[in-house]
Amino acid sequence: MKRASRHYSAWSLLRARLSGAGFWRPLWTGNRLQQAYDVVVVGAGGHGLATAYHLAKDHGIKRVAVVEKRLVGYGNVGRNTTIVRSNYLLPENHYFYEDALRRYEGLGRELNYNIMYSPRGVVDLALSDDDFPVLARRGNALRLAGIDAELMDRAALEKFVPALAPRRRRRFPIVGALVQHRGGTVRHDAVAWGYARAASALGVDIIEDCEVTGLHTTGNSATAVQTSQGEVQAGAVVFATAGHTGLVGKMLGVPLPIETHLLQAMVTEPVKPLLDTVLVYVAPGHAESYISQSDRGGMVLGGHIDGFPSYTREGAWHRLEDVVQATVEVLPQLGQLRLLRHWAGTNDMTMDGSPIIDRVKYDNVFLNAGWCYGGFKAIPASGAACASFVAKGTPPDLIRAYCLSRFATGHLLDEPGYGPYPVKL
Amino acid sequence: MACPFCGLRPLEEFLFRKTVPNVGTGSGVGVGADADAGASAYAQVYLRVDSAERSVEEWQHVAGCRAWLVVDRNPSKGVVRSVALLGGAQ
Repeated sequence: MKRASRHYSAWSLLRARLSGAGFWRPLWTGNRLQQAYDVVVVGAGGHGLATAYHLAKDHGIKRVAVVEKRLVGYGNVGRNTTIVRSNYLLPENHYFYEDALRRYEGLGRELNYNIMYSPRGVVDLALSDDDFPVLARRGNALRLAGIDAELMDRAALEKFVPALAPRRRRRFPIVGALVQHRGGTVRHDAVAWGYARAASALGVDIIEDCEVTGLHTTGNSATAVQTSQGEVQAGAVVFATAGHTGLVGKMLGVPLPIETHLLQAMVTEPVKPLLDTVLVYVAPGHAESYISQSDRGGMVLGGHIDGFPSYTREGAWHRLEDVVQATVEVLPQLGQLRLLRHWAGTNDMTMDGSPIIDRVKYDNVFLNAGWCYGGFKAIPASGAACASFVAKGTPPDLIRAYCLSRFATGHLLDEPGYGPYPVKL
Repeated sequence: MACPFCGLRPLEEFLFRKTVPNVGTGSGVGVGADADAGASAYAQVYLRVDSAERSVEEWQHVAGCRAWLVVDRNPSKGVVRSVALLGGAQ
């Protein structure tokens, strides 16, 4: 058996420097799939790995496997735009995402892995006098919940984001912003690697290149998971497969209020420091862009989902144009930059824009899904809450509202306010 | 995408609305199986057929003739199999 990764510290880095390459070990050990586990987590993305980590750490469940069709962090955890924030309007969402943000603040220390949390502020721009009270309402809701939010007028915003200062003729004038200072960015791959490393150190088996093809059941329980590496007995099964949740629904024979859409992201060539915050720009109509600058200097851009079901991971060209247009509208100085890379993730879009963490069909089958475009920022809270649900059998208060039955009972969490569609019609 | 009236037009002229449940997907799951009216209404409004191989969807040619369409696509390959008018009207 391979040896576990070492503890990282300033002292250990010095030791590594002196002892050469022999110091470094793989972050997680690639164990073989055993015959039986207490919990099998399907999907080694952020939510699956965090769930496994918390099952082992908080609840002492050591016989846990995370099985992954491809590689650790191959899916959306490595495809997002790295933004973390908790500035949601609805109480169920802002308390949950605030829990995630607080966990992110201490996650580097907890995992003993540098996740590069950068609380650089998330700036939601107001583009009209009508936008301003809408943002103020959200800010007031947040402050009543004890979550930081600051409403800035144009003058204060120009001081906070000097890149916006050159007054140009804009199609949509910027009149102010709602700022969450503790929001910012986190290195997305490091979150996957950090959780995988920490879970592996606690004895969790992380099995890559292992596709789940079926579920064996008896009565109201799942008994085993059929995988491409063989059958494995499971005391409980957690599906955290993000953009492939629709396929899980099909496997279980349960129709879900989910469609799979693409969300594109892109990064420009690196430039000198220009933007030390995250700008969120939603122009009237469909153009939308959120912009941050990576530590390497590239401008990281994202927009709205493509708006129709797709599993291709190749975004639609006109949506890419929308994002670029919106970006150049808000920061015209980026107009000459070239795009370096462009990619898309598959998003499990629910019909109210909020996630689902619930039992599905069987007593011991759990679904952690429907994260839409907000999955990355939720990972630490989702993992802890989902693990608690699996271990104790009842959902913690934080995720009670994320039950699947809310669609049937009408207790929707319609954060975007679109009604039962992933995009505004 | 090929509109029955306008011919081949750019994708951005069309707006996707929702997947059409239980239309030849062979999934055996989805909307319409519920005898209870409330459950059926819930299913009609919220449940979707999310298939990687075949997706039958309602679209509208919003920036063209505004016709409602039924589009049969393969979401894994981005290939449109067929486009017809919604309701089968000619």
